Amino acid sequence: MYNTRIRGILIHGNKSYADVSHDIIKPINDKTPLWWWVTAFLATGALFWGVWGFYNTITVGIGEWGLNNNVAWGWAIINFVWWIGIGHAGTAFSIFLLILRQKWRTSINRAAEAMTIFAVMAAGLFPLIHMGRIWDGFFIFPYWNTRGPLWDNFNSPLFWDVVAISTYFMASFAFWYIGMIPDFATIRERTASKIKKKIYGAMSFGWLGNARGWLRFETAALLLGGMAAPLVVSVHSIVSMDFAVSIVPGWHTTIFPPYFVIGAIFSGFGMVLTLMIVMRKMYKFKDYVTDGHLDAIARILTFISLIMGTAYMIELFTAWYSGSEYELFTFMKNRVTGPYQFAYWTMLTCNAIIPQLFWFKKIRKNITIVFIMSIFINIGMWFERYVIVVTSLSRDFLPASWATYEPTITEIAVYAGTMGLFILGVLMFFRFVPTIAISEVKSVLKETTTLKSFTDESH
Amino acid sequence: MNHTNIIGIYEDEDVLLKAMDEIQASDIKIKDVYSPIPLHGVFERLNLTTRLPYATFIYGVIGTISVFAFLYWTSVISYPLKFGGKPLNTLSFIIIMFVLTIFVGTLFTFLTYFIREKMYPGKQVTLPVPETTNDQFAILIEKTPDMTDTESNKINEVLKKTGAIEIKESEVNQE
Repeated sequence: MYNTRIRGILIHGNKSYADVSHDIIKPINDKTPLWWWVTAFLATGALFWGVWGFYNTITVGIGEWGLNNNVAWGWAIINFVWWIGIGHAGTAFSIFLLILRQKWRTSINRAAEAMTIFAVMAAGLFPLIHMGRIWDGFFIFPYWNTRGPLWDNFNSPLFWDVVAISTYFMASFAFWYIGMIPDFATIRERTASKIKKKIYGAMSFGWLGNARGWLRFETAALLLGGMAAPLVVSVHSIVSMDFAVSIVPGWHTTIFPPYFVIGAIFSGFGMVLTLMIVMRKMYKFKDYVTDGHLDAIARILTFISLIMGTAYMIELFTAWYSGSEYELFTFMKNRVTGPYQFAYWTMLTCNAIIPQLFWFKKIRKNITIVFIMSIFINIGMWFERYVIVVTSLSRDFLPASWATYEPTITEIAVYAGTMGLFILGVLMFFRFVPTIAISEVKSVLKETTTLKSFTDESH
Repeated sequence: MNHTNIIGIYEDEDVLLKAMDEIQASDIKIKDVYSPIPLHGVFERLNLTTRLPYATFIYGVIGTISVFAFLYWTSVISYPLKFGGKPLNTLSFIIIMFVLTIFVGTLFTFLTYFIREKMYPGKQVTLPVPETTNDQFAILIEKTPDMTDTESNKINEVLKKTGAIEIKESEVNQE
């Protein structure tokens, strides 16, 4: 049971159920604010630049990128892993906190899941575009062909990746959508606009909210959540195996799957924190996403950051303890020192050192600093992928084939484009979807808050 | 099917649950309860159960078996091709089987839910009390044609006594 005397009040402002519906639906009915248009304009600009990068890559070829024989994986895979990592928070948030019965998840899970959907969409573009011949993309699926039929190599982690990510996208979307149905019905019944009533009515699938409907709804949500939980762990383990099953020094380690999963949740929670601070500021949701919520995320980040720090130390230790010269060279001469040391130390500082500031209550309470730190975490996690991909590839076994890597403008454009896509998606979500799960907040409201009394004496 | 319902509207879930106990104690059958949030007390009092978890389990089993069958057939029977000296029927199938079991389970559970609930995009419904999606709770009791006035008055009385803020009768046309 939730004890407000111990845990504090979850939703401030002494809200009634009607207040909850009203507050959360308000941004959908209000006029679109100016900041929305400005951000959408900038994001669309970035998206168009990305489309140019995309077009350039497809028409000219992968040669447009800064890749070479040695560094055959550059920004594309870095950004792919980065986005997938961010995409992990939504499901991790909803499902792990659901299993742990954390009531505070109810104010945040909807937005975190929306973020997942758009981040996975952004991530999915990179493998597609990296194929070069995008029109042959369907080769990855085991389809009946005229070459035998010749099937896929089911031993390849790259094939597992395709399976895992499409499953993850589908499962996250199903879970997200099913959760929104009662809230769409709430909008359907409350809106005055005829068009909105039609659209939200269609999207609510004829939701009634009767006893059996709720029972099945809860069961279905729990089942979908329960099935997606192992998926969160498996998807990023599989992504890590894209690297770990090779023999490249720096990649060929058994620590990779847990290290990647933790890193993904770390970056995802960082992005959730960034978005939540923006959302509560812009929509004045401070009663729902309270300082307590942000404090809870910051505490989780501190803990995960310690695991990240441990992983970095273990990597260095194992490189030394293995006695492998190549491993030792990669870590000591090409990461800790060497031409890429800037990236390595940025990664270490942003992921393992800066989040330790969250130990201080004063810092956790200062939302501006928390916001800046969440950005640092996003940057740090990007550099982690950069360090892993580029340092290991640029100097491998044969010094004769060493090469350096720098991204070209096309690669930068594609990355900016996915950023635009993500931001545009999140803006659409802010504008047209209840950003906080209305029915879920209501269902924890009474036991976690002092509700305006509706006692029977008044009647 | 057209019929009349007597609807008692409540404003608090604890009052609602107590009311349900009293209504059931006076031998009145509750037809349905509409609420803005899921209430476990309601499920228990109406003796509602769902077999959805069994369905999900069966989907999962079918998923695992059919994915393995496909992988085995393609890799061992249809086009046996050695990769890196590993056996044709390899352990790495487990990863694909694991993920696709979740895929099949999720997709079919999702669809089963909508089919069982008879929900589809664009379905038009009229709620007996629209405010049940906002902040009200409604108990529906079916008024059968052979019900005498004494019986329906008794229902009204019990609803009022248990704290209903409003009682109404409505003709509902669904299912």
